[in-house]
Amino acid sequence: MKIIAGIDIGNASTETAIGKVYDDNKVEFLGSSLVNTTGVKGTKDNIPGIYKSLKKALEASKISMEDLDLIRINEAAPVIGDVAMETITETIITESTMIGHNPTTPGGIGIGVGISTPINQLQGMKPGDQVIVLIPKAYEFNQASKIINDAWDRGIEVKGAIAENDDGVLINNRLINSIPIIDEVNLFEKIPLNMLTAVEVAHVGHVVEVLSNPYGIATVFKLSSEETKLVVPIARALIGNRSAVVIKTPKGDVKARSIPAGEIIIVGEKIKRKVDVDDGALALMNNLEMCSPIMDIQGEAGTNAGGMLERVRHVMASLTDQSHTDVKIKDLLAVDTICPQKVQGGIAGEYSMENAVGIAAMVKADRLQMNIIADLLQEKLGVKVEVGGVEAEMAINGALTTPGTDKPLAIIDMGAGSTDACFMTKDGNVKLVHLAGAGNMVTLLIQTELGLDSFDLAEDIKKYSLAKAESLFHIRHEDGSVEFFREPLDPKLFARVIILKENEMVPINHQVSIEKIKLVRKQAKEKVFVTNALRALKQVSATGDIRALDHVVLVGGSALDFEVPQLVTDALSQFGIVAGRGNIRGTEGPRNAVATGLVLVK
Amino acid sequence: MEINEKVLKSIIEEVLQNLKVQESGITTSNDVADLKLSSVGPAAVGKRKDEVIIGIAPAFGEYQTKTITKIPHGKVLKEIMAGIEEEGLVPRVIRVLRTSDVSFIAHNAATLSGSGIGIGIQSKGTTVIHQKDLLPLSNVELFPQAPLITLDVYRAIGRNAAKYAKGESPSPVPTMNDQMARPKYQAIAALLHIKETEHVKQDAPAEELKVIFE
Repeated sequence: MKIIAGIDIGNASTETAIGKVYDDNKVEFLGSSLVNTTGVKGTKDNIPGIYKSLKKALEASKISMEDLDLIRINEAAPVIGDVAMETITETIITESTMIGHNPTTPGGIGIGVGISTPINQLQGMKPGDQVIVLIPKAYEFNQASKIINDAWDRGIEVKGAIAENDDGVLINNRLINSIPIIDEVNLFEKIPLNMLTAVEVAHVGHVVEVLSNPYGIATVFKLSSEETKLVVPIARALIGNRSAVVIKTPKGDVKARSIPAGEIIIVGEKIKRKVDVDDGALALMNNLEMCSPIMDIQGEAGTNAGGMLERVRHVMASLTDQSHTDVKIKDLLAVDTICPQKVQGGIAGEYSMENAVGIAAMVKADRLQMNIIADLLQEKLGVKVEVGGVEAEMAINGALTTPGTDKPLAIIDMGAGSTDACFMTKDGNVKLVHLAGAGNMVTLLIQTELGLDSFDLAEDIKKYSLAKAESLFHIRHEDGSVEFFREPLDPKLFARVIILKENEMVPINHQVSIEKIKLVRKQAKEKVFVTNALRALKQVSATGDIRALDHVVLVGGSALDFEVPQLVTDALSQFGIVAGRGNIRGTEGPRNAVATGLVLVK
Repeated sequence: MEINEKVLKSIIEEVLQNLKVQESGITTSNDVADLKLSSVGPAAVGKRKDEVIIGIAPAFGEYQTKTITKIPHGKVLKEIMAGIEEEGLVPRVIRVLRTSDVSFIAHNAATLSGSGIGIGIQSKGTTVIHQKDLLPLSNVELFPQAPLITLDVYRAIGRNAAKYAKGESPSPVPTMNDQMARPKYQAIAALLHIKETEHVKQDAPAEELKVIFE
């Protein structure tokens, strides 16, 4: 009889399983543990994490270090993933509209067209003139509304207003005739004067209809058919806003420009292809599939895409003590996304959602320094340490302890840095693949699409479900159900969207609705994990067709997620595949697969 | 710097001196005229969901007319009310007489408010946004350093209170922190608070106020 500890060092967590192996090869598991990995996987920095994990598992097993006969660590797949984001479009406004400016409380309702006139020049206007009044900060709402009312008395037709302050409702409440008023315009002084201007405000809960329609703008400004063509980007940009301003200036224009982000060169075994990052994720992924199997992926020198790929290569080279040129990027996952960017030339500090491409890259080296770690560990602990089998094979051995599974079996190991898949045939032959893009990529997508400044907040949003504290005694969960509390909640949670962590509620101090966060979160998970699950299974399947597989077990840290397994299961069920979250040894859930496999090695 | 009793005494004397000068200034100043507050009986519990109550301290706008940084009370009240109105809600003003503690004033306002949201403000300018279900000494948003509150901040306080009343999740109004505010204003803040507390009427109900700006 021998007591063996299996230790799996992953990108994000280090896991241990301890088992008693009897002479007839029967195994009785004593305990397991999970801690965060210290340092980058496959380096000496891992040792503190290994020690902590081992100690925790020993405590759980109620044995001491001296009782151990053998420690087996995994031949970790020498794979490192990294993620980056590249914006590929930008919007430039030349003095014609306030695109993306959507003040929360504009005043009045309707559309008004007139000549843009500063409020202090209202005096000089003639009766019958149609004007849009510009109200700077210096004029407070009482004063401004009085001047406008006086102008009406003299027969000047004030059709609408643009205010620098957040005064729209206040001014409108004090007017004899209600007019549409746009407020909160930061760079007020940049508004062109004495130009034909249209201001539109919709009712609460509605969106502008005239200025978001090219023919609507054409009607207002009496445009020719040629000119109407030019205003299409303006109209498009105003869709979905509650209020809008369009100013007709001789040179006014809106341009959606694409930013050169550089080329990515995919070197396949037979074909080599160059793809522009600007072409988007789909083009990149299609070309990648065409070039498969991939030998290397390079980025154009001196561009953002190139810089990102080279950085990953460099990290891997220094980790494994190999020369820069020996490290090959073997896979890439590109995802189309959007991120809020400040509009260039905007006068109200507007933001526009621009297209971006998120890229995850995966680098493979010959081997990691696992033997060095093993030697160091043996020296420190005084227990024999050996480097065990290939990570994916161990994972499948561990996954087979899930009740209801049998060979042939495919697993998808969804971690933080990479998505690995492995297929074991009936006679035990194994085919495996490592793909770029996993949990960290999802976090990055959430962070950029919601415009968050902290990666940790995005990570929390990814991991936990949401609720809103509607009163101090009840919260409404994201699915609409209500939960009551006896004791009042922390006042800092009041009226906020909150993240429901295990023992804690964390408020999100951003003005994003719960529905928006939920949608972004789900889409990010689909974009990465569903795409990668399909990609991975295609590559491990003997026939290259996913339908040839019957059973797929999901393991790894991201399989613990509360919605990723459902999304993948749902997507795979369309191919007639039984897929589900693993339950290692019937007790561990989707974790501890590799560590369990290491103990089971004969 | 060494602070002994003598130095402290001289500081307080100096402050008192300044205060006397100010007080004489206040009575002749026409700032008082811009805000007219008249009581229209005891304040009742509101039934309207779209109201936010501003609870003012016993001396506010009457015995004291400026905040610690000499912002006229009329302007302060006007900005808070404007912030509420801009969000499409209705401000109601009451005077809380039974206490001069800003948290209790705000909580009293919140319990009378139809939306459950109230704002409490002391004569020296300290402000709190409160909710009726909270404990009095808790708060939704607290602005403890009165010397750092500007008119823009008062507007934002009104706006945020209205947003809470609508069930929205506004970003908290950014509060500034100045280490020097405490040593610089502590003595005068204490004095202003004492002068406010002199006008507390124990067990008196809150008064509904009619507000006129001139």
